[in-house]
Amino acid sequence: MKIFKRKNKKNLYLSDMQPLNFVGKVNLGLIYAVLITWSIIIIWPLYQMIVSAFNGVQGKYLRLNDKFEFSLKHFEYLFNETLYLTWVKNTIFIAISTAILTLIIVSFTGYAYSRYRFKGRKASLMAIMLIQTIPLFAGITAYFTIHSIVSAVIPAFSRQMMLILIYAGGNIASNTFILKGYIDSISPELDDAAKIDGCSNFQIYRLIIKPVARPMLAIIALWSFIGPFMDYLLPRVLLTSPGSYTLAAGLFTLINDFRTINQPAFAAGGLLTAIPIVILFISLRKQLVSGLAQGSVKG
Amino acid sequence: MKVTLKNIGKKYEGREEFTIRNINLEIEDQDFCVILGPSGCGKTTLLRMIAGLNSVTEGDILFDGRRINTVPPKDRDIAMVFQSYALYPHMTVYDNMAFSLSMRKERKKIIDERVREAAESLQITDYLYSKPSDISGGQRQRVALGRAMVRKPKVFLMDEPLSNLDAKLREHMRVELVRLHKSLETTTIYVTHDQTEAMTMASLIVLMNDGVIQQAGKPEEFYNKPANIFVARFIGSPTINIIEGTVKDGKFITPDGILSITPCLEDKECLSSYEGKSISVGIRPERFESGDHHLDKFDCTIDVVEMLGKEKIIYARLDNGQELVISTPGHYNYNDGERHTFGFDISALHFFDNDTGLRIN
Repeated sequence: MKIFKRKNKKNLYLSDMQPLNFVGKVNLGLIYAVLITWSIIIIWPLYQMIVSAFNGVQGKYLRLNDKFEFSLKHFEYLFNETLYLTWVKNTIFIAISTAILTLIIVSFTGYAYSRYRFKGRKASLMAIMLIQTIPLFAGITAYFTIHSIVSAVIPAFSRQMMLILIYAGGNIASNTFILKGYIDSISPELDDAAKIDGCSNFQIYRLIIKPVARPMLAIIALWSFIGPFMDYLLPRVLLTSPGSYTLAAGLFTLINDFRTINQPAFAAGGLLTAIPIVILFISLRKQLVSGLAQGSVKG
Repeated sequence: MKVTLKNIGKKYEGREEFTIRNINLEIEDQDFCVILGPSGCGKTTLLRMIAGLNSVTEGDILFDGRRINTVPPKDRDIAMVFQSYALYPHMTVYDNMAFSLSMRKERKKIIDERVREAAESLQITDYLYSKPSDISGGQRQRVALGRAMVRKPKVFLMDEPLSNLDAKLREHMRVELVRLHKSLETTTIYVTHDQTEAMTMASLIVLMNDGVIQQAGKPEEFYNKPANIFVARFIGSPTINIIEGTVKDGKFITPDGILSITPCLEDKECLSSYEGKSISVGIRPERFESGDHHLDKFDCTIDVVEMLGKEKIIYARLDNGQELVISTPGHYNYNDGERHTFGFDISALHFFDNDTGLRIN
């Protein structure tokens, strides 16, 4: 609680402002009450999930009771009795492919929209924005049709690849806007300087813009990566065999299907799912720190 | 390298009007050419066209007689220093300077030699491995210059490179830039809106306004023989005094008769065809003279005195309300509200035609 600086017993200071009066103190109390309630709402289920995952007393159904006995049997169940590892593999494959595909396409679109003036630039930007408001799921019949047409020509085109295309396609719209905005803030004089130094347009992006825009690219990669972890509906509908399920779809079979139900194992699976995302966050932490562009122009 | 502009015009996509048009200019080898003008006059557009960053709508750009309109920037043998320096933020100073050479697949050893040579002459060897964000504005400016130098280009282009520096550093860099220009023996084209920079650095000044060249010539010509009223007003600080009036019996007289000036013999000849016509006279603030021995004198009331140390700038008012700026040596004694008599140095008068704005004498 560093924001409180008690200069003497009577007065309460918030950072460097005037001491709080009575109304100010009440308001501060209210704000804290709201924040604490909010955090309880978020933390309580997480806490229950962690406790249940390690609780050996729990059977097939989760029961909230006081008994606790540390055990890893739910994890054992997850690895031995379900296709959990396959689901992890599927999800990571889909997530990484989505992230890479999104990055490549968005790099081109974001850079082009930011730096080039062409006919229909504004109109197409608007179109992308509007199309984006239609939920991904609305195109479900189209997805089936596209898949059956493409897989007739290329038999190797699986439902998972279809899913990757849908995720990447859905990410392009909003991320194009975000990256365009970021590249807009990079001085175009950098492009000019690179041009005089002998760069082609593609080299300007690869050698100058991409490194400068790295914080934003890292964030886009992260979001695209997390997407497949979170989505349940599309994999559930598009993927047919449990062997091709992603984590979300696979784990769901543990709580909604009476044949395979095992709620504590679901909790354990959910807990493990967080690990790759946490690893990614930690490894991208340095890239996420923005401000790289500072110092390029004037100071 | 000699740079020739022939009838250059530029119209941006989607605009009705030409931004600049009918620009004819010859910049000799090893000239320090300053393109001067108020903001929005098209000077940066012109520079970017020479650099190849903007396309040429009409006319030809010749480098040593070779037409280079469609040659891409990297093949023009030029280097450019930008207003914002445009250093690559993710590279060290060394990499920034080496970038253009490594893009040309130059040998590592040669790159290293050139970078160190440039760094030494600009005194930035200590920061070679810092990032641009870690060094000061003045140092970044040097790095930007160094980056241009390592290329050993035939033409140096600079787009207001000093405008982001503080006043003291700017003065210092001005001299250094001229020194650099002389030692490199290249042609330099320099864009600025600051007339002091133009006057102090240039061997050729090109003053532009509204997309048209108003005058091109040596700095002293600009000050002593401005081609029109705009040039006279733009060059010189404090600004020149412009007084409107007519020619009557070979004399210049204001409409209310409060001022009358008898021009010198040469000027009289030039003015003979303007008898009865409306003209303006321009006189620099330092060309007023005090004392009673003058032919044409006038009385004025001093409004404000600005003390600059070596000189005093007097803002005086004639009886008809016309304001005059007069510069006198700093040790002369003038105070607010006093009345004084001044005369003109008639050898330093500039006469302009009011209809065209052009110089008469």
